[in-house]
Amino acid sequence: MIPPSPPPPASWKFSVRDALIAAGAVTLAGLAVWNVLQNMQGAGLAPGFAFLWQGAGFDVSETLVPYSPADPYARAILAGTLNTLFLAAVSLVLATVVGLIVGLMSVGPSPIARAVAGAYVEIFRNLPKLLVLLVLFVAAVTGLPHVRQALSLGPVHLSNRSLLFPVPVLEPGHALVLAAFGAGCGACWLLARHFARRREAGQAAPPLWPFVLLALGGLPLAVALGLGLPFAWSVPQLAGFDYEGGARVSLQFMVIAVTLALYHGAQIGEVVRGGISAIPRGQTEAAHAIGLTPRQATRYIVVPQAVRIIVPSMNNQYVNLIKNTSIAIAVGYSDLMSVSGTVINQTFRPLEMMLLTMAVYLAICLCVTTQLNRINDRLRLKEGRA
Amino acid sequence: MKFLFASLLLTTASLAAPAVQAGAALDDIKSGDALVCLVSPNAPGFSVPDSQGVFQGFNADFCRMAAAAVLGDAAKADIRGVGFSDSMKTLVARGGHLASRSITATGTRDADAGMAFIATTFFDGQGFMVPAALGVSAAADLQGATVCAEDGSTTLLTLADWFADRGMSYRVENIADKTARLEAFFSGKCDVYASDVTALNSDRMLAANPDDYVILPDVISAEPLTLVSQPDQELESAVFWAFQVMLNADKFGITSGTIDDVIADLDSQPQEVARLFAADGAGADMAAKLGLPADWAYQVVKQVGSYSEVFDRHLGMNSPFKLDRTKTLNASVEEGGLMYPYPIR
Repeated sequence: MIPPSPPPPASWKFSVRDALIAAGAVTLAGLAVWNVLQNMQGAGLAPGFAFLWQGAGFDVSETLVPYSPADPYARAILAGTLNTLFLAAVSLVLATVVGLIVGLMSVGPSPIARAVAGAYVEIFRNLPKLLVLLVLFVAAVTGLPHVRQALSLGPVHLSNRSLLFPVPVLEPGHALVLAAFGAGCGACWLLARHFARRREAGQAAPPLWPFVLLALGGLPLAVALGLGLPFAWSVPQLAGFDYEGGARVSLQFMVIAVTLALYHGAQIGEVVRGGISAIPRGQTEAAHAIGLTPRQATRYIVVPQAVRIIVPSMNNQYVNLIKNTSIAIAVGYSDLMSVSGTVINQTFRPLEMMLLTMAVYLAICLCVTTQLNRINDRLRLKEGRA
Repeated sequence: MKFLFASLLLTTASLAAPAVQAGAALDDIKSGDALVCLVSPNAPGFSVPDSQGVFQGFNADFCRMAAAAVLGDAAKADIRGVGFSDSMKTLVARGGHLASRSITATGTRDADAGMAFIATTFFDGQGFMVPAALGVSAAADLQGATVCAEDGSTTLLTLADWFADRGMSYRVENIADKTARLEAFFSGKCDVYASDVTALNSDRMLAANPDDYVILPDVISAEPLTLVSQPDQELESAVFWAFQVMLNADKFGITSGTIDDVIADLDSQPQEVARLFAADGAGADMAAKLGLPADWAYQVVKQVGSYSEVFDRHLGMNSPFKLDRTKTLNASVEEGGLMYPYPIR
């Protein structure tokens, strides 16, 4: 019913067998490295990462940090890594939302909702994601209008190139406004702690929200007005071939995020469905018997138990999703894989670049796994505690 | 192995120092009765093994041209598929006589003592394709344009250099999947499609209506794909002039199908044709001096064909690539291209 906590790890004991296995593994790895180094030396190549500081000389389609072809390879790789992280973060949130909706639909009371969710899961679980990506990309690029006939809603424009929207541009003095906002945050935190202590001590305390509004909204606004609003808006304007100004989200970014959300949404939906289905019917009936409404039964009895089953499987889903962002290369989103591929073609440094790329993906995935494990530990039923 | 390679390099360098080669490579071809020719192992249209494992294609035919000129028999070309950098190493180490594999002639490569560039068989370069409706007539009008190009390719580098040199801004769409890349261009996600001109010509044919797209006249990189041999002045001359025979054949409209009729009635031919093929003409004179079969020029045209014949057979209208040679740099000078037949007299 509820997964029991794993037994504490057995204390480590020396054994000859373990030592031999470890020695064998180390020897094999050492031989492999030695062999590669020998072969590279034979071909006149010296392994090293000094090339990372040479000029890259190529452009990438979109970046979160300023980048030009004059920058070194290292900066191109940084730009690619940030693109991968941004895509992974957005897709992760979208896929989770889709998965929750699909999962809840498939255990809900409505037969139509169950059928829709079931069909959705079967379709997206059984199609290759690269195919889904290419179909959606071609559909979007041919279906959406050309940039000159962009769909416009005020200053927001959508074309088969990108989604464009205005962004504030910081002018001198904006730091003071940000400082005021920071000070507001600090004040809110202090007040919240103070009020909480008073309540704990049984004293009356005024509601917090008017103070929050004043500190986070009123104070920065007053400072901004006092400085004569040190922000300007950068609005997209049609100029020449394309819009200039504003912020842009490329079509390929949106298409890949949607693809990953749909694909992993189906899988997460199954995880959610499985987690909820694993709670025996008797639990809900018992909840009803003690007078809880169906809503309360779900909220206080089913969900807390289901979450403990769902979270460990989500770990796997999230790591898979992060690695799957690498299909972005097919439709022109400059992620880490795309940039490192170009760097390899320029520098003929496949070994170094593959090691570097692997290290980055490994670091990202291990960070996510560690965080999810921490959440998992917190949710787990603790033995020996009431 | 490394020592062997270095000593070979040294030998080559010391042999290359005197101005005149003794024709060692040509002698080696004759004594072995085979011309070892290196091609790319798999380049559709240029060199691909057929069902018998024999290389066929545009580049493979220049191996046959050399064998027909030197040995009088195109079938004596021993055509081998070798990777790009390995083929240059093999030539330097004297493991092959000729390489016909889309090697761009560059200064640093030619400065290498172990290699001699002979004749450019294919002129390519990076260009731009735009929708005709855009009204752009030259690449200089592309300020601020979005350019679709293959992810990871040197196209990206050439683009970055070209726009930076002109102080022009642009946006790149580096799409790896070819279908996605072409769809993006045909539906207007990119204003411009950048690739080698040869590729642009064949990609244009994939549009619903190819006439809606034009290839701009600007070629922003030079890719002269050139025959390379071991340094051997006589071999170089033989291969260079065999190629000129193929260009001259085009100039006078002679093909492998018509050459026998031409020979049969040399008196009614233009003087230049007579000089090329007659038993007492300039062609025969060259053969005697270089040690080639007396009818070498006839054998080249008979067994391999004229330049346009070879082009059309593998890349042009008689091939799946449907390249219109007259619209590439490989058109003759008269057609506005770079193929300029040298006089044989």
